[in-house]
Amino acid sequence: MNENENNFESLRRLLAHKRHETPPPGYFNSFSGQIIARIRAGEASPARNDSSSDISWLLKLLQAFELKPAFAGAFASALSLLLVLGIVYAERPDSGPQPILQTDGQSLGSIAAMSSGTISQPPMANDFTTSNSAATSLQPVASLFGSQNVFAQPVSFSTSGN
Amino acid sequence: MTMLMAEPAELTDQEPAVPTAEMDLVRRAQGGDLEAYDELIKRYQERIYATIYHMTSNHEDANDLAQDAFIKAFQALKSFKGGSSFYTWLYRIAVNKTINFLKQRKNRLHMSLNDLDFNAENNPDLVALISDKTPRREAGLKELSEKLNEALLKLSEQHRLVMVLHDVQGQSHEQIAEVMDCNIGTVRSRLFYARQQMQAWLTDYLKPT
Repeated sequence: MNENENNFESLRRLLAHKRHETPPPGYFNSFSGQIIARIRAGEASPARNDSSSDISWLLKLLQAFELKPAFAGAFASALSLLLVLGIVYAERPDSGPQPILQTDGQSLGSIAAMSSGTISQPPMANDFTTSNSAATSLQPVASLFGSQNVFAQPVSFSTSGN
Repeated sequence: MTMLMAEPAELTDQEPAVPTAEMDLVRRAQGGDLEAYDELIKRYQERIYATIYHMTSNHEDANDLAQDAFIKAFQALKSFKGGSSFYTWLYRIAVNKTINFLKQRKNRLHMSLNDLDFNAENNPDLVALISDKTPRREAGLKELSEKLNEALLKLSEQHRLVMVLHDVQGQSHEQIAEVMDCNIGTVRSRLFYARQQMQAWLTDYLKPT
């Protein structure tokens, strides 16, 4: 290492000149005063700091993206992966609302009532309806016709010519 | 703005003589005593400023970054537990702030300093001007200083920091390792690489007189 130090001696002498690159005389006389004034100004307006902190996390995130492109790439990859997983999960045939219907006894009861030709008012409507007005009521649309009966006729299609 | 003096002087980059008094100042500043913090600023302002200036080669940037570093240090002062010296802790804040600034500036400019024209380094007249002891030597030194800054800016931030802290500010390998939060071997290898690069770029200015 000593040999290396000797090899770089002239470079070190050259770099030593940089120690004398200083600001103008008297520059540091007011330096600390400026910092203290800025600290006092910051303490005097804490409300502004609080409101700006709401968006600071977003700025920090953007700065992190700018400083570390790999981080931005990883973040984008994670988002893309989540999106693809969401699409794949949504397209699965067994991922519909079926499990909810199977476990909800009241829903099954409502389906049974519909199949028998009547629509019973669901308990949810009673819970949420506070107005008797038809326009603002949350009752099912079927009640607007005055009749609680729903006429359903089974339809079948046939491709045969006869 | 840049001024050059004739002869380099020895560095006085040492830890404070009375560390207990410094800890007292730190505790008072942690309690919100701005006079105590003002005293701490005055102790380290020149060294912090110089480090940032040598990293950025720009006095305006150094002024802004040094002020920001001291303000950030005050805001984070309650988290200072005394695990390292206040000086090292403050230095880390200033160095991290400077490196972040330099990275942002590099990304903003989208320009590599390697693309700049450094043909002037090979100008024989300029080399002779600086090598010879002529009355115009001081003027030549100013130009040399500019070339030196340009070469320093070609180094990566980490290599430049090691070189500035060791060869310009005279800090030990141990101090630099503490500031940069790495081991001494890393500091030595970075310093060696940085010197190699600088020597290659400034070869014409390094002829023995």
